[in-house]
Amino acid sequence: MQVTVKLFASLRYRWFEEETRQFPDGSTLLEVVDRIGIPKKELGITLINGSHASLQDVVLDGDVVALMPHIGGG
Amino acid sequence: MSEESSTFAPSTVSYRRCTVNLEQGTVSFQSLPCANLEDVLGGFGRSFQVLEQRTVKNAYSPENPLIVNTGLLTGTAVMTGLRTYFSAYSPLKRSDAGMPGAMWAAGSGNFGNKLKWAGLDELIFEDRSSTPVLAVIREGASGPVVELEPADHLLGLTGHEKIMALHRQYPDAHFAVIGPAGENYQNVYMGAVVMSTDNELKSGEPKSRFAGRGGMGSVMGYKNLIAIVAQSRDKMPPVTSAMRDVNRGVITNGGSARFQPVSQGGGGGTWANIEVLQAFHAVPVNNFRPKGNDDVERLFRDKVEMEFDVFAEACFRCGIRCHNNVFNRTAWGGRGRLQAKYDFEPLILFGSNLGVHQPAQVSELIHLCDLLGMDAISLGTTLAYVLDYNERHPEAPLFNGATFGAFEAIKALIQETGRGGNEGIGRGVKRLSQQLGETSYAMHVKGLELPAYLPDTNPGYIFAIAGGHMSMGTHMLLAKEGVTTVEGWAKAITTTGLLQVGYDMIGLCKFVGAGMGHELVSQAIAEATGLKVPPEDIVAAVRRAYLRGLALELRQGFGEDEYTLPSQVMNDPNPNMTLPAFITRAFIEELKERVWSVFKPEIDELRGAWRDESSEA
Repeated sequence: MQVTVKLFASLRYRWFEEETRQFPDGSTLLEVVDRIGIPKKELGITLINGSHASLQDVVLDGDVVALMPHIGGG
Repeated sequence: MSEESSTFAPSTVSYRRCTVNLEQGTVSFQSLPCANLEDVLGGFGRSFQVLEQRTVKNAYSPENPLIVNTGLLTGTAVMTGLRTYFSAYSPLKRSDAGMPGAMWAAGSGNFGNKLKWAGLDELIFEDRSSTPVLAVIREGASGPVVELEPADHLLGLTGHEKIMALHRQYPDAHFAVIGPAGENYQNVYMGAVVMSTDNELKSGEPKSRFAGRGGMGSVMGYKNLIAIVAQSRDKMPPVTSAMRDVNRGVITNGGSARFQPVSQGGGGGTWANIEVLQAFHAVPVNNFRPKGNDDVERLFRDKVEMEFDVFAEACFRCGIRCHNNVFNRTAWGGRGRLQAKYDFEPLILFGSNLGVHQPAQVSELIHLCDLLGMDAISLGTTLAYVLDYNERHPEAPLFNGATFGAFEAIKALIQETGRGGNEGIGRGVKRLSQQLGETSYAMHVKGLELPAYLPDTNPGYIFAIAGGHMSMGTHMLLAKEGVTTVEGWAKAITTTGLLQVGYDMIGLCKFVGAGMGHELVSQAIAEATGLKVPPEDIVAAVRRAYLRGLALELRQGFGEDEYTLPSQVMNDPNPNMTLPAFITRAFIEELKERVWSVFKPEIDELRGAWRDESSEA
């Protein structure tokens, strides 16, 4: 299946900004993240099609995944 | 702070207080036993117990003390243990009943360490001096010495200029000073305390830190206290291997990692918030009203780096390089003059929220606010209101008629305000909007201007006791977790959110500390002081201190109607933000009911204990 992955802030500096890639059908968000190579501890916010999602959620063909780092005040 | 036992009752721990009567010029010292764990931890946990004993109806009155203290871990080898706290009744935070609210502001730099190393845990300035003075704290042969000296020579100088002038006079000291804003306290209620850093003293560059919130610098100005000098030899204790482990925990926890430079695998500091919040069109633009466009992206880090040299630096002996200092580039590509320090708050509040999107212009406004010694949040948010008003009333604009993006006109307003020439802005957005009769888009809660997180995303602001994101850790909850239910918000406010204030007791940086966890804080306390304080006791003490602050608000006349958000949030939700618009009047009413049903019985129960402690004292 084809999934578009968008990365933000420090993640886009270190990996890429936006790419559409092939992933095995039934992949979870965690498997998508693992295939890209982003350590889980670096993820703060994860979205599928604009809605908050957990790493256990299954991604579907055509989905847009957004991955963001931890954010904090100050 | 000295302790007699490591398995301790709070009364076996004592702290050293100096009381300076500025009117009489007298100085007295006391060694006091701690009444409770809040006293032991320090910061606002202790100072609010003093404020609670006072009847203060006007922040600018002799009865209002200015309390300068440190936290238990200030001046220890625990990383980020640098904090100094300034507490008083605030000229800015005021109830509709006309009473000032109790406030504290926290700042880093090396001043707090020096204060502690000179032998003091707390300074209380009573009354006011009839002439400008500076207080010099130094180590004497038999303990700390505090003297008052004339400070006329410092008047009119910027905060940084005052610091450098004092540095020439006291080369081994650190400083807490006010800028021109604090000197003009009658018309500027948002004066900050400007604190020196080692980087500043060594480089001569204006790299001060600020205890900004609530106008503590204006209270100093009222007292005619222009500067405080803390002079001491460096007494940083040796770092044991156990302390190294603690500091490794501090530096590697998730809370710290996001502040480290991107080049070190970190998140690049609070600057990263812009990109993440912009993904939801939730970055404040034109007075907290995102337009749904990409204007903000010009302030993204990579865009700024095309024009400027960005260099990450850290506080004294801190391994977390969270200061993103922005320097001009010289003609040959080298590092030139320091432009400004970029943090999320000033970057947005002097940038997109004023309709200013050019990095060079934003830097200039941040820099100007810093030099004049004003709280960036209060000033930026009040200015945004003025620009908004002027856009709504082109036929009769305020002041110089500045509108969004009018850089030169905005700059002129900052200059004028900081020098005391614009009381409309200098007294904050609550007063200005009430005078004008247009309060719906005045971005404050209980008289304290909102930080750079949309109120549309954070009903937790209602229960912050000393600044929206400084004293209630819920400002990212919607973006982070998508929480929109009353249950979810009530739980966050009454459990984890309020714990944000704990770091303003113990002396650690709160934004780093939030990721540490209380287990590590407990270890840090044990290693630095020998005191065994279980994590659950720390959490309980923080909760009591927060509730004392909330009780003090109620005592100072903050009414039920003041526990709310700016009405624009409920009446006119912004369609451009892609996060859910979930805050309605009904939501707020239900949330308040749930939160008060938790807090009020606890406050009632604690009042008995507080009465007992105060009668014993």
